[in-house]
Amino acid sequence: MTATTTTPSQHRWADVIHRLEAGGSMLPDTPENLMQIIGIYKAYAVPMDFYWRDLLYIAERVFLNPLPAFKYFISQEYLDRPNSYAGDQSPLKIWRGSEKAHPELLQFMERGETRAMPKLLHHLWHDRINMEFAEACMQAMLWHQGMGGRFNDYLASEAYRANADKAIRAYFRGNPLMLGLYRLFPEMFLEQVRQLSYTANLGLFWEVMAPVFFEMSDIYDEGGFQGVPDAMNFLVNGIFAVAGRPIYHHVFIDGECHEIIPKSEGFTWLYEAALPYVEAVFYRTSPFRGTKSYNAQAGQVPVDQADFHYGILYADVYPVGSAGIPPTLLMQDMLHFLPPYLQDLYRQHRRGSDDQLIQLGITFQRSMYNVTSAVIQALRAALFYPLDDPDPEHRLANRRFFEAQMDRFLRPEARLGDIQSQDYR
Amino acid sequence: MSALLLLLPGLPLVAALTLPLLPETRTRAAVPCGAIAAALQLLATLLAWRLAPADLNLPWLPSLGLQLQLGLDGLSLPLCLLAALISGLAILTTPGDQPRLRLFVPLLLACDGGVTSAFLARNALLFVLAFELVLIPTTLLVAIWGGPRRAGAAIRYLLYGALSGLTLLAAMLALGWAGGTAAFDFDSLSSLQLSPASQRWILALLLLAFGLKLPIVPLHGWQPLTYSQAPTPVVMLLAGTISKLGAYGLLRFGVALLPEAWAAWSPWIAAVGAFSAVYGALNAIAQTDLRRLMAYSSLGHMGLLLLALAAATPLSLQGAVAQVLAHGLVVALLFACAGLIERKTGTTAIADLSGLLNPLRGLPFTLGLLLLALMAAAGIPGLAAFPAELMVFEGSWVRFPVATLIALGASGLTAVYAVRLFNRVGFGRLDNARANWPGTSWSERLPALTLALLVIGVGLWPTALTGWSEAFTAHIALPS
Repeated sequence: MTATTTTPSQHRWADVIHRLEAGGSMLPDTPENLMQIIGIYKAYAVPMDFYWRDLLYIAERVFLNPLPAFKYFISQEYLDRPNSYAGDQSPLKIWRGSEKAHPELLQFMERGETRAMPKLLHHLWHDRINMEFAEACMQAMLWHQGMGGRFNDYLASEAYRANADKAIRAYFRGNPLMLGLYRLFPEMFLEQVRQLSYTANLGLFWEVMAPVFFEMSDIYDEGGFQGVPDAMNFLVNGIFAVAGRPIYHHVFIDGECHEIIPKSEGFTWLYEAALPYVEAVFYRTSPFRGTKSYNAQAGQVPVDQADFHYGILYADVYPVGSAGIPPTLLMQDMLHFLPPYLQDLYRQHRRGSDDQLIQLGITFQRSMYNVTSAVIQALRAALFYPLDDPDPEHRLANRRFFEAQMDRFLRPEARLGDIQSQDYR
Repeated sequence: MSALLLLLPGLPLVAALTLPLLPETRTRAAVPCGAIAAALQLLATLLAWRLAPADLNLPWLPSLGLQLQLGLDGLSLPLCLLAALISGLAILTTPGDQPRLRLFVPLLLACDGGVTSAFLARNALLFVLAFELVLIPTTLLVAIWGGPRRAGAAIRYLLYGALSGLTLLAAMLALGWAGGTAAFDFDSLSSLQLSPASQRWILALLLLAFGLKLPIVPLHGWQPLTYSQAPTPVVMLLAGTISKLGAYGLLRFGVALLPEAWAAWSPWIAAVGAFSAVYGALNAIAQTDLRRLMAYSSLGHMGLLLLALAAATPLSLQGAVAQVLAHGLVVALLFACAGLIERKTGTTAIADLSGLLNPLRGLPFTLGLLLLALMAAAGIPGLAAFPAELMVFEGSWVRFPVATLIALGASGLTAVYAVRLFNRVGFGRLDNARANWPGTSWSERLPALTLALLVIGVGLWPTALTGWSEAFTAHIALPS
């Protein structure tokens, strides 16, 4: 694919736009960038393999438990739950990895970074996978709502209310206290169920992404990727391969399956999960987390929720935890599963192993710019024209689309400029 | 046994003369060798404290009244310990890549030797000689290794220092002439019967000489520039020990030798002290540079010291000595932290520094020590300056309640600039583009850490500040 637009863009990020038009990524194509993003995808995929399992466990099994103290203590059934998109037994096998939980994850759950001890002690010592990060992502999706698709509208529909009502009554059968509370405050319970529907949504989204990242790591280890665009195109192809997979919310109560959002509603992975996730988590999130505080009265927080810009694409990784989604917890999770080549890289720069958390946070930022590039290219492919389209009008439409996307990185907090330099670590 | 006293200034001075002979390839050995010399000096001082040797008295130029008379008493002993300690730690803060180390460290040791000689001197002319000796190496250190404005800083320091030295010499000679004696040993001088008019003239000269050294307002013109331009080890010495010569001189010669003139002028001295305290604190609040802020903070604390000296009650004088020692530790710690920050970040401009408490890319350990030093400077209980300031205020209150209240208010302002500084430097956003410096190593932290432990230790055991000088200060206190 080559860019054939005659006049250069006058946009501030013209270089990046020209690169996208040439089939590239927002992230410059360098061997180190490729190594960084693939390494971090692998380190991200291992905790993600836990996130999706536990999110589905919470949405489908813990459900409305009023004291969900043990919701992060995933059941063996969900730990063993085969991935729907990988493994020989999977009817929807798309990626080549195993359907089982990743061995590094199981090993970490056994010993943590300390030593083997009861699960409760691991939990209290925070020597575990931080599900708080996953839940923060889910809450960002729930809170921002209205990011395209029909999923959010459905949560306000009568059909959803009826399904949720049935599930709530079934869950609290024989519990007059909770049923009485439900009668008094029905909206409170419904809102909890909506949150659990987003929990299921995110779990199903990550069920797809975990094997994608594992496979990318495997391909890189085999010498399969030649550059950053290859990695991006793998993601683009993956997005199209699973774009139509169903997003649903089932709850299992006393062995019976209650379909709160049935598959028959036709909600799909790309439009109801992937795009809202990217918008909510990569771009927006919320300004009230981490060590950096924002003053709404001083105009530091946009009036319009759609203008929020606290996601990883804007995050200042230096003051640890200042981004909208608490990256500290994710960084801590990824730190346990860094491939050796990435550890070696970090040891060579800045404070070596002492500030790996920041270095890997910045690597994660790079990698998410690449994922966002894949999403932008996928949208362009779905909504606009091929990059090598000979029609100048079509190329101009593509140009306008890319420029509109890059407009979101005009604000000073955007890290797009930083990641253009290899010295940003 | 008296010869032991010769070791105290002798060790650093001999080291200062021999270190330049180190071979070119062993230049970096100057730092450990210099630190060892200062450590041996500290040990010798502790030994002298335990053995309590008699005064040393050797003829030097008898016709001029100059004798090599050295002695340790309750005032000079803690100050000698302070000088050896701060000198050793200042040498340890010297970076290994400092240019011309074989000259830098000997000059630091020469300062140490000069200050120690002054504290040990039992002869006024010997004191003047030692007082002047300090000026030369300090000026060279600022002029050669200072910041971008080092030339101006060195010239200003030299001019103020020279004026201070000349005035001191004039005061000492006037003491002899007015007393009709050619003997300048302290015992002879203390037995002089001077007229009130003579006392006042001489006191005016002494106030000028030592006021320039401390310094006090309005004689502080050299201080902010010199403190901001001098290399870290030099400014640690300047603020931690060399400036203490001024306090020592006012106690030893002003209060002790000229009690009537001191009593007559004490309200004015107290007023200047209170004004210095307020002036220093307000200026510190307005500063935009770390070192200049610390310079004005030091100026304010010297105001408190002057107030205590003016009151000259047993408690206030004890507080003054305690303030000298506590301030020596605290200000050395402040500048050690500032030096570490400057070495890593390349700046002391407060506007350019933020987020240094970042646990991974900042300087959290150094900032922790800086916070401790700022808390100590603000007089937080449990730290070194608290007992000293408590005694200063309590001792001064009986003589000058208004000045004490003003100084108390000024002391409260310390918390304002301390919080402001820490908030700006420690918190906020760490700049991605700048924060690519390495962390501090334990060897770099060692001097500041040692000072911090002493600041805590002395705060928890205040007798370490006051025990030494109790008898001396009680002896020279003015009658109430």
